[in-house]
Amino acid sequence: MKPSLLTTALTLLALALFVLSLLVGPAELALGDSLSGLVAGGGEAAAIIMREIRLPRALLGLSIGISLGLSGAVLQGFLRNPLAEPGIIGVSGTAALGAVAIFYSGIAGSSLYALPLGALAGAGASVLILLAIAARQGSTLTLILAGVALSSLSGALTSLVLNLSPNPFAAYEIIFWLLGSLKDRSLEHVALALPLMAAGWLLIALSARAVDALSLGEEAAESLGIPMARARFLIVAGVALSVGAATAVVGTIGFIGLVVPHLLRPLTDRLPSSLLLPAGLGGAALLLAADVAARLVLPAGELNVGVLTALIGAPFFLWLVMRARREMF
Amino acid sequence: MTKRGRNRLPALSGLVLLAGALLAAPASAAPKRVMSLNVCTDQLAMALAAPGQLVSVSFLAREPSLSMLHEEARKYPVNRGLAEEVFLEKPDLVVTGTYALHNTTALLKRLGFAVEEFSFVQTLDTIPGEIRRMGALLGQEEKAERIAAGFATELADIERRQCDRRPTAIAYDQNGVALGKGTLADSVLQAAGLRNLATDAGVVGMAPFPLEQVVAEKPDIIVTGRPESAPTLGEHVPRHPAIAAMPATRVGAFVPEGSWSCGAPTVIKAVRALAKLREEIAPCPAGTAP
Repeated sequence: MKPSLLTTALTLLALALFVLSLLVGPAELALGDSLSGLVAGGGEAAAIIMREIRLPRALLGLSIGISLGLSGAVLQGFLRNPLAEPGIIGVSGTAALGAVAIFYSGIAGSSLYALPLGALAGAGASVLILLAIAARQGSTLTLILAGVALSSLSGALTSLVLNLSPNPFAAYEIIFWLLGSLKDRSLEHVALALPLMAAGWLLIALSARAVDALSLGEEAAESLGIPMARARFLIVAGVALSVGAATAVVGTIGFIGLVVPHLLRPLTDRLPSSLLLPAGLGGAALLLAADVAARLVLPAGELNVGVLTALIGAPFFLWLVMRARREMF
Repeated sequence: MTKRGRNRLPALSGLVLLAGALLAAPASAAPKRVMSLNVCTDQLAMALAAPGQLVSVSFLAREPSLSMLHEEARKYPVNRGLAEEVFLEKPDLVVTGTYALHNTTALLKRLGFAVEEFSFVQTLDTIPGEIRRMGALLGQEEKAERIAAGFATELADIERRQCDRRPTAIAYDQNGVALGKGTLADSVLQAAGLRNLATDAGVVGMAPFPLEQVVAEKPDIIVTGRPESAPTLGEHVPRHPAIAAMPATRVGAFVPEGSWSCGAPTVIKAVRALAKLREEIAPCPAGTAP
């Protein structure tokens, strides 16, 4: 498929789902009321619902979907590993642990600023650990197993920190951190996460040429004059920023970065760099769709969107492993 | 701690003997040593027990957010509701809640302790009865009668001052959970002359209530919890900017801390506070109320 055609189609799909996300919610607003509420000012209920509740949710769905799709695509290209994904290799899990450790300890009061701070630190640490492992032991399997270990450990420590909180309600939030949700987020969360994620997207975009060269192998890339140290920094910082900021505000949402690049790769020329933009847009479309579904399946209680993405993604992961076994291990 | 460690072995070996002894013991009129394992039975027991009669209360009784009598509770040793603690203390009577410590209660009954359970699915109407029941158990019938009658009189007094103007309210707590029909909070809101939006919307007990629906219903009053010392994300939900953006809605904790967490005599303070707030925002027209 022509790159421009693919990009246009995915952009339109993401935008359509963005609008759909604005229209779905427990307060049954008429279509006209929703749209006029979005632009009108004032204290009308419809205006407040649209601007303060649904708009932030749709914006987060869009931008976090981009972050997860983009991070998945760049990690798969950079690590030359079809199973790499922020959730599976433990980046999301450690980001959640970082956010939980700083926020629930109360050292920053109950300020939300503690969340991205901890999450970025957690995500950055795990990407560095994984790169060190990947550098010493190139095997696909090692990296994935290290990621599994990192995910389990950070999941356990997240539960521990929440259980140790003197506030009895903290333990109920384990499910949010392990299977994220976009419920009841506000524009504060958007302001907190979006600039950091955008910076991450930029860094990942700057690494595109290096990732292409890396598909020929590290030595070949270096002989092409690609500064590997710089590429590594761009990717570590880019993924840590985008996944860290995303996890800080919505918890761990897995498998988007795995499924989307695989679905879209056959439609591109298979160069890692030409997958980046489509994967970002596709990630946005998938997360927005999953979040709309999460609101419709259980309208009163609402399902965590992380449950839905895991329901789609985990069988897909299993299928990839079965298929890849013949080729790789 | 050391005492418990020293006593553990003989206590365990004497388990069967003691159980038999307790079963055979004649029921005396007023128990001399009473232990309360639940924060809500703590409130009733502390209000009624004679000096020295109550040997310990639950550790939550010292928690200001849950226990109105948290200062009073500092005078008593605390327990964590463990069967072992009861066993070492050997009280004549154990009072606890029906659904808090099921396993402990069953174990204690099997060991022959006298255990009295109090249901906490309760409303303002059930409180005088609960006060009298605790009074009868502790042999403090007179004191209980006085407190129960005072409670019922003041409640009737507040309810008499209601009129047709009933502002809407919702008790909206951690994670967007609302308190609906059958809860203590619902009966407090009603008694204070308010309409509970959650009950109107069909919520029974505690249930999640969508933030969007709160905004759409435009309640006059939103009663939220107080921020605790340790933060949670859930407490950010009642403080969501969408709630702050509603122009005509009063948002706040309004009821004294811990006052409506238990069906105890002190819940009247929550009724008083909300009735006062109702008077402020929707005063009854002169002449309609006595």
